[in-house]
This record gives sequence, C-alpha cells and structure tokens, in this order.
Amino acid sequence: MNAATIRFDGATVRYSGANRNAVENVSYDVRGGELLVLLGPSGCGKSTLLRTVNRLVPLASGRVEIDGSDVNGLDAVALRREIGYVIQAVGLFANMTVAQNVGVVPSLLGWKRDEIAARVDELLHLVGLDPATYRARKPSALSGGEAQRIGVARAIAGRPRALLMDEPFGAVDVVVRTALQRELVRIVSELHTTTLFVTHDVEEAFRLADRIVVMRDGRIEQSGEPFELFDNPATPYVRQLVHAGDDVYRRYFARGRELLRSS
Amino acid sequence: MSERAISRGGALALLAAAPLVAGCAFDPNAIRVGSKNFTESFVIAEIYAQALEGAGMHVQRLFNLGSTQIAIAAMERGNVDLYPEYTGTALIDVLHLPPIGNSREAYDVVSKQFAQRYRIVWLTPSPMNDSQALATTRAAAARYGIATISECARAAPQLRLATIQEFLARPDGLPGLQRFYGGFHFQEVRTYDIALKYRALLEGKADVASAFSTDGAIATDDLVLLRDDRHFWSAYNVAPIVRAATLAKRPHVARVLNAVSPKITDAAARAMNAAVEKDQADPADVAAEFLRR
Amino acid sequence: MNYIAAHPLRVAELALAHVELVAAALVVAFAFALPLGVLAARRPTIAPWLLGALGAIYTIPSLALLAVLVEAFGLGFAPIFVALVVYAQFMLARNVAAGIAGVDPAQVDAARGLGMSPAQVLARVEFPQALPVVIGGVRVAAIAMISIATLGGYVGGVGLGVLIFNGLTLHQPQMIAAGAIAASAMAIAADALLRLAER
Repeated sequence: MNAATIRFDGATVRYSGANRNAVENVSYDVRGGELLVLLGPSGCGKSTLLRTVNRLVPLASGRVEIDGSDVNGLDAVALRREIGYVIQAVGLFANMTVAQNVGVVPSLLGWKRDEIAARVDELLHLVGLDPATYRARKPSALSGGEAQRIGVARAIAGRPRALLMDEPFGAVDVVVRTALQRELVRIVSELHTTTLFVTHDVEEAFRLADRIVVMRDGRIEQSGEPFELFDNPATPYVRQLVHAGDDVYRRYFARGRELLRSS
Repeated sequence: MSERAISRGGALALLAAAPLVAGCAFDPNAIRVGSKNFTESFVIAEIYAQALEGAGMHVQRLFNLGSTQIAIAAMERGNVDLYPEYTGTALIDVLHLPPIGNSREAYDVVSKQFAQRYRIVWLTPSPMNDSQALATTRAAAARYGIATISECARAAPQLRLATIQEFLARPDGLPGLQRFYGGFHFQEVRTYDIALKYRALLEGKADVASAFSTDGAIATDDLVLLRDDRHFWSAYNVAPIVRAATLAKRPHVARVLNAVSPKITDAAARAMNAAVEKDQADPADVAAEFLRR
Repeated sequence: MNYIAAHPLRVAELALAHVELVAAALVVAFAFALPLGVLAARRPTIAPWLLGALGAIYTIPSLALLAVLVEAFGLGFAPIFVALVVYAQFMLARNVAAGIAGVDPAQVDAARGLGMSPAQVLARVEFPQALPVVIGGVRVAAIAMISIATLGGYVGGVGLGVLIFNGLTLHQPQMIAAGAIAASAMAIAADALLRLAER
C-alpha cells in the first residue's frame, strides 16, 4: 500500500518570467519502496521536480503518474493527504502541540480521536522520542533535531503511499544529521514507503540512496545505483561531482552507508 | 486550531453577539417620536413620548432633528411617526400662506392642507400659543411709555433691538412688522445667539428683544411682553402631528395624545422652559413632572 | 459628572445602546473585512490598491459620509450603523492582512503539502496565528468606532451621542460632559479588555 510507483513522463516546468525551463523533459520511473535521491546544485530543478508529484508545482507539459494514475486527474488536496511532505524548514505549526502536529493528516483523513492518539504515540516512538515528554510540547520548545524528527513523524502519520523530502536535514548539525539519516533509513526499510529525497550533499546521497538521479539545469545527467555512478560516470560533470576514480572517496562513501545500516 | 485560539475567538463572538440578542432599543414596532432643535420642542416631544410609554407602547426618540424642513422630510420618508408642530410655523414656513391670528382658523387650515398634501394628521391642539412677540424690561417700558406693538413701532428710533438672525429674515419678523405697523426703524439692531438674547436685554445693552411668548426667560424675569394690538402675528398653537399611516395602524396613539395635548397651557410651557433653560433640568424630568400633575 | 449621578439609568440605557451599536457594527464589519484582508494577504500585487482604497474611505470626514447615508437610509439606526461598518473596514482588513502575511511561509507550505485545503490552511494554521494581530486591529477599530458612534446622536437618537447633541441644543454643558465622559470611559474599557484578549 505504501510502495507507490511514480513515473515522470516528459515532465516540464516553467516558472513565469524565467529564461529556461526549471525542469526540462524529465522522464523516469521510480520503483515502489525505493529510496531515490535527487542530487544536484541549487537551481538544478530537483526541488521543483519533487513538488510536481504532489502538485505544489504545476506541469507546463508532460505527465506525472502515481501508481499509474495521472496526478492531474486526481483531486490535489486528497492526493497530498496520501503523500508525505517534509521540508528543510520543517514548518511545524506553531499554534499546535507536537501531538496535534503529528496527528494533522489523520485528522484531515477523518480518523477517530483514539485512533489518532494511538498513532501519535506510535510515531513518536518510531522517531525516537518519548511520547509522554513530547506530546504536549509546543514547537518553540524543540531543538532542531527534535523538530525535524517530528516533521518526519507528521509526514508519515497518515500511512502515505509515498514520501517527499526536500533537503530535510540541511538545517541541523552534523551529529544530529547522521542520527536522523539512520532513523530515516530504518523507517523506510521497515515501512517500505517509496521515498523521493532531495539533497545537494553528495555524501548524504551516497549514504541514503537505493538509486541516485543527478540533475543539472533541469535535466537528468545520469541515474543509477550509487556505485554505478561512481564506477561509470556518464559525463565529466558527474565524474567531478562524485569524485569518480578516487579510491579514498570510494571507501569513505562505503563506510557512510555501512554506518547507517549497522545496528 | 489551538484551544486557546478557540476560546479567545469564542469569547469575542459571545461579546459581540450578546448585545444583538439584547437589542430592545431597535424595536421595529416602536413609535418614533421626533422633535426639532430647541428646548420647547424637546419638552413637548418628551411629554408625548412619556404619555405613549405610559400607555404601554415602545417609543424610540429621534429628537434634535433640526429645522422644520428636516422634520417634515423625516415624516414624509417615514423615519419619524410624529412630532410637535406649530400651526403658525406650518402655515407660514411649510404651506407658504399668510399668517392667521385666529387660533381655530389657523388650525383648521393647516389640518386640512396637511391631510391632503402630506397625509399627516393634526391631533388636538394645545391652548399654549408660542407666538412671536417683542419683550422689554419693566424699566424700559416705563421709560419709553411702550405697552403695545404700535407704541413700540413709533418709539423705535430711540430703542435698541436684540434679536436672532431668523427674525430679520422671516416674513413675520422685522420686515413684516415694518410693513404691517409702519415705523420700526430701530436706533440699533444687533443679532445674538438665541440663548444670549435676553442677557443683552437684562444687562441694559438692548431695550427690546424679539421673543417667543412661551420663552422660559419671560416667566421668571423682570420682562414684559408688548401687546399685539393689531393682531399681526399668527397663532402658534402646538399639536401632535402624526403620519396617517401610523394612525391607521395604531389608532390609540391619537387617544393618548389628545388626552395630554389640551393640558399644555402658556403658563405650563413657560415654567417648563424656564426649568430647562435656567435650572438646567433634563427635559425628560420636566415632562415627567408635568404628566404627574 | 453631576448629570451621570442624577440620571444613572438614562446614561446606562444610552450606554448600552451605544455598546450594542458598536458591537453589532464590529461583527458585520468583520464579516466583510475578513475576506478582504485574506484577499490582500494572498495577492500582494493588489493589496496596496485594496488597502489604499479602504484607507481613502477612512479619511472621508465622518459627518460628510453620514450626510450621504442619511440621504440613502433616512434617520435612525441605519445610517450610523452603515457608517461604522464602512469606517471599520480599513483597520480590520489591514490587520487581518498583516496578521496572515506574517505567518511563517514554511508552515503554510507544509500545510498545503500535507493536504489542507485553502480554507483549512486559513482556519487551522494562518488565522490562529494571526489572531493577536487581528485582535489588535479590532481594538483600534473599536476605540475609533466608540468615538464616531457619538454622531448617532445627531442622526437618530442612538447611543451616548444623544447626550452630547441634546446638551448642545439645550445649552446644558453637564449633559454634554456626561455623554463625552461616558464615551471616553467606554473607549478606555474596551481598550483594556481587548489588550487582555490580545495576549
């Protein structure tokens, strides 16, 4: 149920007043249950592409399909309730408690109060936070790491078919980031939720991804498994980006993956 | 939505809604009683209003309407159901007819015309006759030997007049007096605010002042009215005038007001005006006192 | 002050009517100002025009506007009520717009992304956070309206203005003072009450 397939078919996005397309004719099939990383510098179109999936960004041409259905034919609000969404700034609702934040999507979906309460507790556990301590807290009383964990909990509370994450760990310090990355890998493998993860950080990409899509100027430069890119970079840009051929980096990236997946 | 926000919002909504529920002041079935913008009009309108309230009706007061024009316009538009009006004012300022000295005759004319032209009904008039007049001090009357308007007309070149602007323009003001009686070329004519006019007279800055015969100042001070020996001035009896439409729906309005109207005499009017003007009494209190007797 | 002591019921009755007038006008004004404020917050390009227009209306001298409204509605409750609703728009709409625009855009993005409809974003996230600023606008509007509402005494015998205008006509300074003092006291009380609510 969670492992939705997503297909981009000639997806093109243009922002008004821009001199080129933000996303240019992107076609790609995302496999159900995979953790796909969109990697590239600022302005390469990765965040834009991400947001076409939940229709926060409209397509100029082409299609985006989720489980075979054109997203344009679906009700946008209903669609978004089935897709988790996490952003760098987290955006926890300042007027709600942690419990209310986490329970937002279930409440929108019409779950019963006791169902929601149980789910909130379950999720707080899942992201490594003690419900008794955190339920009634306000977002202003949370650290960066705590806030982002709750952001993730909020995103998956409604048992979404897919999870969209836009540089979610960019604003926390390195130690916390590693912890969060571990959590994410664990959650995704447990729940098998199809996850699109946007980052500009190559190391993070190598640590997390089942597959990586490298983007530049709105197009896909190359895609494939992490070490596929490393061993066989398709363009000079990719070579330079992943430090292809540099054995030190190879070991470094491998170590990073191991770190996240050890118990 | 946070609980705190809900409770705040709820409290505000309650605050706002409660008055709406309680709003008895804006009762669509209330009788709307108006008044013009001077003391006597207030007092008589209060008498009418309290008489109606005494009979169990809800009254909304739209006092201080302004001039006669505004009051009539308000009646025609249906903003006001009734107010106190004077036969003389109706005759001269509204119907633009010549003055009629005889009270009965004046009343009959205005009554008929208002019914026809404005669908306004004149109820029973009061004996009170708030006509124009000239007032002087006892001292000045003695010194210049004036007791009547005619004598004043002849003695005018020796006299200083204190008056209000309206008197100099009205057809039954100075121009009318000059035409009707002849003479009336005062040594000095000065205009004052309506409240200060009598002060000038009493302080010796003027010898004669234009007046209304029921002015409160006349009741208590050392002032006398000059007799209108040739009956120049119109009758100015006050009566409740009511929209025909209102009477059709509420005929007992007529019964209530007709019982009260005949009781308002010159003396009663002067006393009430004096109480409001000199003693700073509230017209509502003065009217209540009147109705008690 | 003497008049208030001598006629407490009358002053209370007029004060209650004054409160009713202002409260009713505030509620109705808010019903209009809320969507206008939301519109201004959502469309930054038209916001200056919209708020500018409302601000221009606010500068029309109250007596002049009232005269026009009396022509349209006659005397009584209606013209002063409409005048108050019109004047309140600027302060209310401006604060609704400012309050909503001041909400963290990341929260609005997250709200939309998680599947709230535009109405839900407004009701569950934006408006609750905008509330202190909105109440600030209500406070400012209420104080202005308590003052402007005294003109009700001029056009139809409503509220504390009756004491002021009757007092002027009857040359009774105590009546005027009573009306003015009561209105001022009311404004101060409203200010204090709403400051509490703002917090």
